[in-house]
Amino acid sequence: MAPMLPMIGGHRKKSKSLDCLLLALVFAATGYLGYRVTMQLHYTWHWGDIPQYIVRFDKGQHRWVANYLLLGLLTTLRLSLYAAVPALVIGLAMALARISRSLFWRMTGRTYIELMRNLPPLVIIFLVYYFLADQLIPLIGADDLLQNLSPRTAHWLSLLVAPPATVTAFVPAVLTLAVFEGAYIAEILRGGIESVDSGQWEAAHALGLSRGQCLRHIILPQTFRQVLPPLAGQFISLIKDSSIVSVISIQELTYQGTQLMASTYMTIEVWLLVAAMYFVLTFPCSLLLGRLERSCARGAT
Amino acid sequence: MNDQAKQESNSPIIDVRRIEKIFPGPVVALRDFFITVERGEVLVIIGPSGSGKSTFLRCLNGLEEIDAGTIRIDGISLDENEANRLAIRRKIGMVFQSFNLFPHLTVLGNVDLAQRLVQKKSRRQAAEFSRRLLEQVGLADMEDRYPHQLSGGQQQRVAIARALAMMPKIMLFDEATSALDPEMIGEVLDVMRQLARDGMTMVVVTHEMGFAREVSDRILFMDKGRLVEEGESQTFFRNPRHARTREFLQQIL
Ligand SMILES: Nc1ncnc2c1ncn2[C@@H]1O[C@H](COP(=O)(O)OP(=O)(O)OP(=O)(O)O)[C@@H](O)[C@H]1O
Ligand SMILES: [Mg+2]
Repeated sequence: MAPMLPMIGGHRKKSKSLDCLLLALVFAATGYLGYRVTMQLHYTWHWGDIPQYIVRFDKGQHRWVANYLLLGLLTTLRLSLYAAVPALVIGLAMALARISRSLFWRMTGRTYIELMRNLPPLVIIFLVYYFLADQLIPLIGADDLLQNLSPRTAHWLSLLVAPPATVTAFVPAVLTLAVFEGAYIAEILRGGIESVDSGQWEAAHALGLSRGQCLRHIILPQTFRQVLPPLAGQFISLIKDSSIVSVISIQELTYQGTQLMASTYMTIEVWLLVAAMYFVLTFPCSLLLGRLERSCARGAT
Repeated sequence: MNDQAKQESNSPIIDVRRIEKIFPGPVVALRDFFITVERGEVLVIIGPSGSGKSTFLRCLNGLEEIDAGTIRIDGISLDENEANRLAIRRKIGMVFQSFNLFPHLTVLGNVDLAQRLVQKKSRRQAAEFSRRLLEQVGLADMEDRYPHQLSGGQQQRVAIARALAMMPKIMLFDEATSALDPEMIGEVLDVMRQLARDGMTMVVVTHEMGFAREVSDRILFMDKGRLVEEGESQTFFRNPRHARTREFLQQIL
């Protein structure tokens, strides 16, 4: 081992100076881009106007309130959190369908997963959303229900979910996202289930456990640690993918960005800020994911 | 005891007639295979690798489906009927070469689980019986450990206790000591020996010829999915009838 060390050290040093060079290049390129935008495109930066779109001072109420972008960020967060739960349920159900002994269920699972993975997300969003919003919401009579809320309930509803007027759009949007993400979760779970040694099934069957009991008590608990990191990764994808429901006018971060851009023409400032706000959501998740992966890898050995 | 029950207790507990198992390939794993085993009998199965020994054991408790023939266990026929299959699995305990303990459960959890899920025992009842069994296999103080914290020999003894927890009438052992370090083989064979002495019906696939000779009532030699010969263990080793058997015994003894 010892003779290796100087070489490794050498590699380190070399890559460090290379890193510095690359970093300098990146900074130079960024500076040049900014210069081009300002000078050649005659773009005037309005960074000073931007913060008011995050929070603004409400003169009537005499306090700071969240404005477009922050509201959008919160909606994105709610969308992602709420979609994660039905997405997990759909994913688990479809993973089980995929490994079912019945041909019908296997075909159902397969069809669902292949459709979701082979159609453009936008197309799926339009199809599923309009089906859900058109068919499901009137079916359960949610409209009437929402119109007769007490102010207190309405307040909590808008805080936790969405303002009563937009709930009928918000809920189908959440479900649409869940239907879309469920396919990826199903494949993650199926992979986890199939990676468990077949001897586990045999031992459980030999003891007289039913297939459902095997899954619940033997197989799924063993896949949990293994699928946790990819599931967390999928949650990050979910946050990012939630931007596609902007096309159905859910006022999440991307939608708010579009609106703001249209009314202020501060294109670059707005989207840089929107990008930063997404990053603020996803990056901590990525860090957490990294820790999760390391601790799961440790636990597995 | 009524007549039917008397007749049942006299009939062989395992009755296998002309079964056939063909894996996709096609690989003929069992062909025209037949055997009966009496209550309390210990049958040892020997044969070269790939001769179908494991497949036969797995067919007995329905882990593999047979393509032809019939299997009757303790009067119940193993067929498409799911209830029959479950009933038969409850009568048969199985011990695997690779232990197949549940790694996410403690020793007690491993022995407990099926008692609670299949026999619907209460947690306390199950734990009580599990402790008795763990004592029987010499692991009384290990109940809170996880499988990876045990030696191979200890793991296999837990696996035996786990199978015994269902109070089976028949125990199947598929090369239960083949994955063990030599110094641990003895402790597992001791447990098996004691089981045989207590009158358990056992079908044992093993390469431990000393154990086979000492414990078994009958030996069965199979090759290429067929039964070549079987006989009382004493005479079997002294004068095997078939050339193929002699050849095999010469290789391993
Ligand atoms: N699941 C399977 N799919 C396809 N072929 C199989 C399967 N299981 C067993 N076989 C084949 O069936 C034949 C019998 O296998 P089996 O495992 O029963 O032999 P064995 O006597 O137990 O051998 P060993 O002493 O190596 O354990 C072999 O040719 C094997 O390759
Ligand atoms: Mg085998």
